Amino acid sequence: MKYLSMIAYVALFALVAVLPARADESAKLAATMEATLDIMYLDDYKDYTSAQRQDAVREVLESNYDLQIIIRRAMARNWNVLTADEQIQVGNLIDQLIVKTFVEGMEGQNRPIIRCGDVVEVTSKRVEIPVVISFPDSDTFNVLYRFGRLKAGWQIYDIVAEDISIVSNYRQQFDDHFRKKNGAQLIEKLEKLLKEEKLDVSTIKL
Amino acid sequence: MYRRLSYKRALLQYCAFGLTLCVSASAGLAEDGDFLSEEELYGEHYEPAIVVRDPLESVNRVTFKFNDFIYMNVVKHIANGYQKVAPDPVERGASNFFKNLGYPVRLVGNLLQGRMKGAWIETERFAVNTTLGIVGVWPAADRFERMQPIEPEDMGQAFGVWGIGEGPYLVLPLLGPSNVRDLVGFVGDRAVNPLKKPYSVIDDSGVQTAFGVTEFVTKSPTLMGIYTQMKEGALDPYSSMKNGYSQRRHSMIEE
Repeated sequence: MKYLSMIAYVALFALVAVLPARADESAKLAATMEATLDIMYLDDYKDYTSAQRQDAVREVLESNYDLQIIIRRAMARNWNVLTADEQIQVGNLIDQLIVKTFVEGMEGQNRPIIRCGDVVEVTSKRVEIPVVISFPDSDTFNVLYRFGRLKAGWQIYDIVAEDISIVSNYRQQFDDHFRKKNGAQLIEKLEKLLKEEKLDVSTIKL
Repeated sequence: MYRRLSYKRALLQYCAFGLTLCVSASAGLAEDGDFLSEEELYGEHYEPAIVVRDPLESVNRVTFKFNDFIYMNVVKHIANGYQKVAPDPVERGASNFFKNLGYPVRLVGNLLQGRMKGAWIETERFAVNTTLGIVGVWPAADRFERMQPIEPEDMGQAFGVWGIGEGPYLVLPLLGPSNVRDLVGFVGDRAVNPLKKPYSVIDDSGVQTAFGVTEFVTKSPTLMGIYTQMKEGALDPYSSMKNGYSQRRHSMIEE
């Protein structure tokens, strides 16, 4: 009987050990988001140029998540239209564009407050984490982070901001692009976008 | 005695099975079937893309360019100027005032969808904000737990809930993205809006215009905020806006 009890306890312990594994994703996401915001707002980074901030943010993001998953999902069927070289180039350029947009979008804003909710299990392979982003004296945004269980661990495969899926949104743009244009023109367009100055709306609060 | 042994064996097997499952999961030794396959992750049939009918794309793109010019060269400056001149409490008060006046639109939107609870909350909020909140400048209803703001409803949403298709995507001059269903809804919304023609409660056309201009100015920072957010980082701002608008409306109707 003692033997049975021991097994039951071990099984229970193992179960308890598994449950926080998913709950930890919320903490990991919160830590990643705060780390990127630190780069934007802490005094340690105040002398950083926008480009240096972008590099630092990218480093934080890439050490925790694989942005290429979101990019490839957004490209969908168009991914196979690209050559292997173009795939690498497009992946890198969109990666840079996402980080640039984030950094430039946060410049001039007050530091938002991030509240990550509990992990919601959709299936055994998919979970979602609702996040509320509140800008002081301004708007509050609801963002849903969708995670998939990959061999490399839980990875973000979509971000839904105020009911708008970033993957679906970019997929529409890529679909519209590839109806009339090709991969080389996409690379050209992305390079042009990365060189563009930030839109002059510095005083407009979110 | 035999039955007790059998029970013990079953319990032992059950625990051992549970243990195996738990340990394998916690140690990351799960089977391949426990991970998303390439097909599940990148295949489109698991998550079909939103389809937006856009037969008028060439006309829409011209209107989009026109709107973009106006937004970036006129509205942006109005929004910037307004935010520089008006202190934050004034901005919030003005925004609350016009939001409160949109009550009839939200009420009708709720009623047409049979959302009686929503209609009641909107009515309560309007009554409290108009009285305690001094004509809606201060959102007094937010102080009451049962009167927390709800998602605004409109006629276009109601038509969607009734099953009416959205029709072709449209870009309206100055107003931006829409579709045939939402355009009809927009006309209906105007009819029940007390500040808008043709059934405005304000007789004097000068006062009516002043109200319209003030409302536009107070909304301009939010509009520009959303617009620039959509535009920044977009490969094709037109496509991004089209998809974003459609996703948002689909979601509002589904809710």
